[in-house]
Amino acid sequence: MAKKILIVEDEEILINLLQRKLTNEGYEVSLARDGEEGLKVMKEIQPDLLLLDIVMPKMGGFEVMEKMGRDSELKKIPVIVISNSGQPVEIDRAQELGAKDWLVKAEFDPQEVIDKITKQIGK
Amino acid sequence: MVQEKSSLELELQRLREDLEFLEGYIKEFSEFLPLPICTVNPLNIILGVNQAFQDFTGYNEIEIGGREITDLFLEKKETEVLAEEISQKNTRVIKELTLLTKDKKKIPVNVYGLSRKDEDGNFIGYFLALSDISEIKKFQEKLEEKVREKTKELEKRTKDLETSRKALMNILEDVDEEKKRVEEEKNKTLSVITNFTDGLLIFDEKNNLSLINPQGENFFNLKAQDLAGKTISELDNFPTLKPLMELIGPEISQVFRKEIQLKENLILEVTSLPIIREKERIGTLVILHDVTREKLIERMKTEFVSLSAHQLRTPLSAIKWTLRMLLDGDLGEITEEQRNFVEKTYNSNERMISLINDLLNITRIEEGRYLYKTILTDIESVIESVISFYKEEIEKRKLKVEFKKPKEKLPEVMADIEKLKLAFQNIFDNAIRYNLVGGRVTVSLNYVKKKIEVTVEDTGVGIPKNQQDRVFTKFFRAANVMRMETEGTGLGLFIAKNIIEAHGGKIWFESEENKGSTFYFTLPVK
Repeated sequence: MAKKILIVEDEEILINLLQRKLTNEGYEVSLARDGEEGLKVMKEIQPDLLLLDIVMPKMGGFEVMEKMGRDSELKKIPVIVISNSGQPVEIDRAQELGAKDWLVKAEFDPQEVIDKITKQIGK
Repeated sequence: MVQEKSSLELELQRLREDLEFLEGYIKEFSEFLPLPICTVNPLNIILGVNQAFQDFTGYNEIEIGGREITDLFLEKKETEVLAEEISQKNTRVIKELTLLTKDKKKIPVNVYGLSRKDEDGNFIGYFLALSDISEIKKFQEKLEEKVREKTKELEKRTKDLETSRKALMNILEDVDEEKKRVEEEKNKTLSVITNFTDGLLIFDEKNNLSLINPQGENFFNLKAQDLAGKTISELDNFPTLKPLMELIGPEISQVFRKEIQLKENLILEVTSLPIIREKERIGTLVILHDVTREKLIERMKTEFVSLSAHQLRTPLSAIKWTLRMLLDGDLGEITEEQRNFVEKTYNSNERMISLINDLLNITRIEEGRYLYKTILTDIESVIESVISFYKEEIEKRKLKVEFKKPKEKLPEVMADIEKLKLAFQNIFDNAIRYNLVGGRVTVSLNYVKKKIEVTVEDTGVGIPKNQQDRVFTKFFRAANVMRMETEGTGLGLFIAKNIIEAHGGKIWFESEENKGSTFYFTLPVK
């Protein structure tokens, strides 16, 4: 059974890329374009891992994690945050909220994504 | 009858005897009298003179008797007037005349005249007495001479005084003019100070405030009259002045362009200068320059750069992944030629991303929110991790890298690890990149004078002497490395310097072109 990954990200190109890459690697990929939609989809499909953007319209990544933390089911899902700035301020906050790992948008390459995902949930 | 004749004869004789006696008496008397006297008849003829008269005039009785008195005196007319006056009056008349003696001497005399009257009151002549006033006259003349002399002297003195007075007046005029000029200058200066757009405070040699101009009053919301003459400690009591007092301190230390914030929207750049005259400090001038607008513009610029950089990151990242996926074959097979071009594009993109990151770092430095948090850090491990990060690059360039560690473990420093790593990396990167193939890089770690000292020595191309003063400035790349490698943002050392200094450390270097460079930095151990 393919592992399910939910990507919550507002940037089209990134979504496309990640989707393409992850699907190639054999994961089942679901998409949401903002925090609100993400929570909804999360509840529906119960993904094995969440790739969560921080800066999004309507509801951002931190708020999503806060909400997840309050839900008994959702808080079990491992989260890898996608940070725009990569600043320690952001990273620390994400970790406080329970993120397992992080990616810095401008710096990571697709391989790094795969590595970090594999680290969390395997192939 | 004989008896009668006898008594009459006796009487007569007695009278004759009396008369003779009287005559004799008068003659003796007049002989004795030292005062020259003569008797004159109404026709002004001299009748008789006494011995003194003869002695005085030189004429004897016979010579002078029968002559007119006008013969005796130089002033003929005057003599006549005198005679006339005597004849008119009953009292003594005095006149000054000049006597002509027999031997032609001229003697000034006072002439006293008294008229003689008979029983019936007829004018029968007069007495004249002469008094030698030549001595007096001489004395008078001498006196007059003296007076003339003195007058001349006085005149001369007066003239001198007048000249001095004129000169003094001239000087006074000049002084007055000078004073006016100085007053004008003072007014001009005062006007400049008053209208100066910067705030000005002037302290005297005792560090008391002697002047604050209107702009200064404005800045602190105080009035000059409330502040004039106050000492530093008295000024401390004004709350609005506190930021300034804290900066300059009780001794009014020399400050160069330090900023203080008075209000939300008022930031001043403070400079204090001693006022020196003839090698002595007679006061201090404190200049307050409003840089609120400049700071605002700077902040806007930084925000703009920050914003732009953030915005740029996104498309650059997108390009990065797309190219990466292309290169990794995730989007299908690509030919060798295609691979070549795509790789070059990928590398260009990576450079842009690196530049954006550097720009963002700089904006963070300028905004002052650079060091995030400091924890006790082991420098050795930071250095190790950077060196190992560059392993591939080192091998590729066939460089020999040595890390000289001290025997004992060094104390840890309070540092922002990420930033410190970046600082060291920037320096180390230069040592690797601008080195010769097969060259050497030596990293040393030491503990010197309560500071951790890191040294990075390379055998690279070095920095030209005439460009060495710009090494730590933004965007600077030396001419010799620009030819060697067109990559490089010129921001690495600027950022490294900021990081090191933000930690309270120092950074410097030594370099010789075509020999190599050695970079040093220290970090304080609290």
